[in-house]
Amino acid sequence: MNIAVLLKQVPDSQSVRLDPDTGTLIRDPADAVTNPLDLCALGAAVRLAESFPETDITAVSMGPAGAEQTLRHAMALGAARGILVCDRACAGSDTYVTAIVLAAALEKFGPFDLILTGLRASDGETGQVGPEIAARLGLSVVTGAEALRRLDSGEFEIDRVTETETETIRFSLPAVVCVAKGIGPAPLPTLTRKSWARREPVAAVTAADLGLRPDEVGLKASPTRVVKILHPRLARGGERISLTEPNALDRAAARLRALVEEGGPS
Amino acid sequence: MTKYNPVTPEIARRLAEICGAPYVIYRDAERLEPYSRDEIPGTHYRRMPDLVVRPSSTDEVAAIMRLANENLVPVTPRGAGSGLSGGAVPVFGGIVMAMDRFDKIVELDTANMTITVEPGVIANDINEYLKPHGLFYAGYPMSVEMCQIGGNVAENAGGGKAVKYGVTSRYVLGLETVLPDGRVLNLGGKLLKDVTGYNLIPLLVGSEGTLGVFTKIILKVIPRPRYQHDLLALFPTRGQAVAAVPAMITGTGITPVSIEFMDGEAFRQGCHWLNDPLPLGRSGAILLVSVDGNDPETLADQCEALGVYLKREGADEIYAADTKAESERIWKIRRSIPEAFSQLYPRQSGEDIVVPCASIPDVVAKCGELAAKYGVAIPCYGHAGDGNVHSRVCAPADWSDEKWDATLPNLLRELYAEVARLGGRISGEHGIGCKRKPYMESVVSPEFLDTLRAIKNALDPNGIMNPGKIF
Repeated sequence: MNIAVLLKQVPDSQSVRLDPDTGTLIRDPADAVTNPLDLCALGAAVRLAESFPETDITAVSMGPAGAEQTLRHAMALGAARGILVCDRACAGSDTYVTAIVLAAALEKFGPFDLILTGLRASDGETGQVGPEIAARLGLSVVTGAEALRRLDSGEFEIDRVTETETETIRFSLPAVVCVAKGIGPAPLPTLTRKSWARREPVAAVTAADLGLRPDEVGLKASPTRVVKILHPRLARGGERISLTEPNALDRAAARLRALVEEGGPS
Repeated sequence: MTKYNPVTPEIARRLAEICGAPYVIYRDAERLEPYSRDEIPGTHYRRMPDLVVRPSSTDEVAAIMRLANENLVPVTPRGAGSGLSGGAVPVFGGIVMAMDRFDKIVELDTANMTITVEPGVIANDINEYLKPHGLFYAGYPMSVEMCQIGGNVAENAGGGKAVKYGVTSRYVLGLETVLPDGRVLNLGGKLLKDVTGYNLIPLLVGSEGTLGVFTKIILKVIPRPRYQHDLLALFPTRGQAVAAVPAMITGTGITPVSIEFMDGEAFRQGCHWLNDPLPLGRSGAILLVSVDGNDPETLADQCEALGVYLKREGADEIYAADTKAESERIWKIRRSIPEAFSQLYPRQSGEDIVVPCASIPDVVAKCGELAAKYGVAIPCYGHAGDGNVHSRVCAPADWSDEKWDATLPNLLRELYAEVARLGGRISGEHGIGCKRKPYMESVVSPEFLDTLRAIKNALDPNGIMNPGKIF
């Protein structure tokens, strides 16, 4: 079984800083991480490979040269190889164009039976790229997988949790599966694999290598237009009672009691 | 009978005059109770204070000390109460002086690389404050998210980074201290060298609140390393894991920032507590080795070099973490071990023995021997790089309090005798407090104790400052 795992390098949400004047992200290479849900997808692929030894995992990413780290990390965790689509022409691509580029890479380096990725990336939070790739490649897609099982019949099942129930969806390969956090963490890399992954070449390809013209990729080809960026305004200020104020605990308890008696905040 | 006086309504009234009535807790058992204990599991080391006072200025602390000294009322200073030796427990009642209102970062002096803080500042907050400046404070107790810096200084806290960065005392450059008679003693400053008279700062650091109350602390800060890589090496046996430590350091010439030792049982309980499915095989012992620096490629090279020696000494598998998420995953398991055991065993004693590093296998073997002899479990974990082993004596759940109370002192005497024979001490970083006080005479010389008492008498002739501790 050939599995492709799609991974994106994103800013670490724990240490992300915004330029107070422009409102844009301050990007620091020390704060770049692999999108956590993509690592969960890789974890799911590695667990399949442990159960089915004939499995081969390819890690695929699109991004600047620094995103090579994300692929080396994936290789340390179990991917046999990494493929980075790295091309200035691709800069500014929206989800639609990103899906076109990644689908072309998957066609070039495939065929893949199973394409796994995170449900969404922690920077864009759109959740669009996985389904768009499936549409592009004419594959089935299931999203929000909290568990992934291979049945004896060769079919696959995922569980996905909705607000009211858990759905079990059965499907055949080839397919695209977008995973949620519940699918479990990625394994820890071993030092042996880490050392191998440091030195192993990562294939770098351009849009042209994938048969895409410059006017088909990047900002210009992207139908999405960012018209305005708004900062969320905190609607609820809350009430702060500092423990260093007199009778702070008594006052906090009294406020909570009053809220409970009122039936909670409206 | 004690020589001390209880807090009278008149003393309580005067304390309210000094600090303001809202900052005095008196005759309110429910609100006094949290100040009767620290983080030692169980109920053995608890004592209600007569009164809790929460001053906010050096003048107030000085006035409280004068009042207490005149009236022979004991005063126990208290930080966050995260201690593990009963240091903040008011064993003779009296006044607990909570320092939580001393919570200000007074000054960051980047030109001199110092930060001046009040004692009630949370240790972690110092580093959060320093982070945007590219600096950090290298003291790192394991309770970093709650403990206060004043408590760290009073106990000379160690923790996980001592191998490379040393313990709290290395970073204390200046102290403002209110003495037991209310005088204010200023020591040191923003100086890296100072031999002007006796060096009293190291005497006060680790004095467990028995010589005075800190009201201001000047700390040395250093450039913050931007990256940390961690190795988690699984060994079949404890002996192999411990033997790998000197082999790895001398073989590579690399000083890791941390070298943590956990026996297999301790690590498994930590994983279980966190529901972490990390595959551990049948490992008998685990080393967590961390390196830090500013170049990730150099750190990767160092990890590979250290890995060669870890494998050579018998490691079956080595995991390598070089992302913050992976690093945090591993360290979270390490930090969860005490909590995991606290939930498992209602009766237990957390030990803090320290031995010359090469003797760790001997003391761990002794723990195994004592566990079999007394029918208890003694998982071991701790700081292999500095010889500080946290053995945790755990009674089976069906033991009664009576059986536990009768057994533990005998077991500890045997353990401490072996520790002393190996050239070790009974506390590396938690302190003696009231918990280990009964064992002091058996592990240190009479001359040492005499010297401690002479110093104590010189600074606190009435013995009101945190009595019942150390000796």
